[in-house]
Amino acid sequence: MKKVVIREFGEIEIPCKYKLDLNKTRVKDCTGCWSCWLKTPGRCIYNDLDEFYKAYLDAEKVVIFAKVSQGFISGNLKTLFDRMIPLFLPYISYKTGESMHLPRYEKYPDIEVYYQGEFASIEDKKIYEDYIYRTFYQFYSKCEIKTITQSSLEV
Amino acid sequence: MRTLIINGSPKSKNGNTEIFIKKFLKEMKAPHEICYAANEDKLQIANYMKQFDTVIVAMPLYIHAMPGIVMKLIECMEPAQDCGKSMGFIVQSGFMESVHSKYLERYLSSLTKQLNYTYLGTVIRGGSAGIYMMPEKMNKRLFKQLSTLGEYFERKGTFNMETVEEMAKPCKLSKGKSKLLQLLSGIGLGDNMFWNMMLKKNNAINEKLDRPFVDKLSD
Ligand SMILES: Cc1cc2nc3c(=O)[nH]c(=O)nc-3n(C[C@H](O)[C@H](O)[C@H](O)COP(=O)(O)O)c2cc1C
Repeated sequence: MKKVVIREFGEIEIPCKYKLDLNKTRVKDCTGCWSCWLKTPGRCIYNDLDEFYKAYLDAEKVVIFAKVSQGFISGNLKTLFDRMIPLFLPYISYKTGESMHLPRYEKYPDIEVYYQGEFASIEDKKIYEDYIYRTFYQFYSKCEIKTITQSSLEV
Repeated sequence: MRTLIINGSPKSKNGNTEIFIKKFLKEMKAPHEICYAANEDKLQIANYMKQFDTVIVAMPLYIHAMPGIVMKLIECMEPAQDCGKSMGFIVQSGFMESVHSKYLERYLSSLTKQLNYTYLGTVIRGGSAGIYMMPEKMNKRLFKQLSTLGEYFERKGTFNMETVEEMAKPCKLSKGKSKLLQLLSGIGLGDNMFWNMMLKKNNAINEKLDRPFVDKLSD
């Protein structure tokens, strides 16, 4: 299976086609310029993620090892999420009863998320998980949040 | 009461957030300081805010939450040493129904308590993406709501919940409204008309559906 790994913690090696190590890569922050929608459709003004976008769209599964930072995803991972907007169209669909951007591409990968960190309460854990599920729902991906066991990581 | 306003928009002084802040401050008697997350050192802002009793963070909604730069600022924040400090938020977004900001609101409310601040609430406004391009008078009602909110805030140190509720409307789209909007966009009207107008203006209309990151052959 074609996999992409986005990593903020841990060393468990998974065979994959592309790896984005967020401990070593600082993703450039979205500037909110909307060039990716209105000037150069599908392309960001920055090209630091071009290889990542290709691998992401080609993958069947994207595995994310995310940190918990102040009870949320890290700023660096959040910036990566912000920079996913070129993969979608500006056009809005209301078919599901709420606003949702249309897909730009034919398919998007399934997402598997593992996270590491503590929460102050069960509600805080839910805030974190609900946010991740919501994001990938809007990104047209199936998403599962899992706890780490060796067997869950086998290919 | 010393209040610091933080502008969390990546567009800094050129975005809608700045307009929201300016209108919020309009009817206030005392001047207030504004920090810009996009242009200033995040650690410095996080340290500087310790000198204030109240902090208001205003930001656009980005992918159902705060922009990456605001999360980086939040990562620099430490719990307040003394009690009695408070924090509130203003979140404005593109989609017209404000329910999209609920995920963020839950987080901000929890974060504020963890930072040992009193949570003043989150002012949420949808349908705000085009404000910076619109003539002033088209947003008269919104601007009035913001200045009323600011004037009340200066007197009472908190948000007027009635105004907050009013601004958050519509929270969700009714069945009829989403059907109508879908119908309009199907025939090229509604907000999709706006995107096409902008694409034409930028000479990019023919590329609007481009897929630069997949091989053409395997399409
Ligand atoms: C990367 C990015 C992500 C966005 N995500 C959302 C979103 O999830 N929901 C929404 O309603 N609007 C979203 N928006 C729209 C902005 O919230 C809206 O345009 C806002 O008015 C921008 O404020 P500013 O000009 O102060 O930066 C997004 C905009 C950008 C650039």
